[in-house]
Amino acid sequence: MSLHSEKIELESFEETQEYYHSRGWTDGFPIVPPTPEAVQACLDWTHTPANEIIGIEPVRERTISAEKLAISAVMAGCLPMHFPVVLTAWTAMLKEEFLLHGATASTGGCAILLVLNGPIRNEINCESEFNVLGSSDRASSAIGRAIRLGLMNILDIKPGAIDRSTLGNPGKISFCIAEHEEGTTWESLAVSRGIPPEVSAVTVFSASSPRQIMNEWTKNPEEILDTYASEMKANMRSYSIWSGNYTVVIPKQHRDHLQNVGWTKNDVCNYLFDKARIKRSEWADVGKGSVVRGKGDTVYRALESPEHLLVVAAGGPAGGFGAIIPPWLGLKSQAVTLAIGACVDC
Amino acid sequence: MPIEVLNPTCESNPSPFNCAPRLKTLEGATVGFISNGKEGTEGFFRYLKEYIKTEYKVSTIVWETKSNYSAPADTDIIERAQAWDLAITGLGD
Repeated sequence: MSLHSEKIELESFEETQEYYHSRGWTDGFPIVPPTPEAVQACLDWTHTPANEIIGIEPVRERTISAEKLAISAVMAGCLPMHFPVVLTAWTAMLKEEFLLHGATASTGGCAILLVLNGPIRNEINCESEFNVLGSSDRASSAIGRAIRLGLMNILDIKPGAIDRSTLGNPGKISFCIAEHEEGTTWESLAVSRGIPPEVSAVTVFSASSPRQIMNEWTKNPEEILDTYASEMKANMRSYSIWSGNYTVVIPKQHRDHLQNVGWTKNDVCNYLFDKARIKRSEWADVGKGSVVRGKGDTVYRALESPEHLLVVAAGGPAGGFGAIIPPWLGLKSQAVTLAIGACVDC
Repeated sequence: MPIEVLNPTCESNPSPFNCAPRLKTLEGATVGFISNGKEGTEGFFRYLKEYIKTEYKVSTIVWETKSNYSAPADTDIIERAQAWDLAITGLGD
């Protein structure tokens, strides 16, 4: 075992909890003690040396090593089989276009959403249906929490320290979902973003809080999607008008209505691209008239292009619900999708 | 039962930030402001500009604005800042 982190001798499991809590090393919940053996097991699962540099966060010039990520994963409750997702998600978060520091330090209160695709979802027993946006299963909960604990402990993204969120977002505790690929005829999010269908992948997205919609009174695709568009427009009026990656989570009931008449994900993207737009003058309707500044007729779109929409098939089998997950702030942070344990372009 | 655990924090990185040498006086100095581009910087820096001109007799004030308020300053701004005696940055939320 060639681990490099400081080793700490403690008397008991209980003392470990208090030791970590008192140093601000937790999110407030109990942690799994990151013993050298448990951390090494994560590294062994991915054949990753402890000192492998996964990336460098450029603003704070912090190197991110595999060992520190494995410690976060163990603390969060991850099993070794979950660790490939954590490693790949961090690799994606450290891409320049993701703008990790901005997304995690901002007053805007962004959480990092992970969307899993491909065989790994079933290998680690992710649930994609009931309660998919929160505490749906062990793997998703632990993986999402591992991301947060890593941010806190490696990059000091703690409330009041680097994390300057005014309100935050419940997704900051853990925000990882798996797409219900078996429950749809649509191509997966990862496939739509260039990953072969047989390859596992994770998409990372700087996410504002989810906004839930409901429309159980039509089977018409346009009418269903008009409800989603209205919530995107509401976000543009009351939060941010700038275009970015929006995520829409479409559960089975709505999906069935769309799929039964042949609508694909591309059709959803094209429709919402067209519909989700407002005039700047609409700011005046929500108390923001002072920043209209003579540009009231200027039209703003939620999406710069249809491809900027991330459509995720997930959620329980019944209920005419859906969710819009808006971007943290326009295109300042862009969603990144990477293959897990495979290189698809080398 | 005794237990051995690992430190989860970033232990090995030395602080990348070293303080620049302090100026003995601002009189005659060139001072650069780097705004993050948010509206709040406008009034704050405008006030500060008048204050340090009047109180400290700086000779020149340069005003730069980042293209992305959540990202590090643009490379060309950093290059131009080499010619300044002092740089002031600030948040404007």
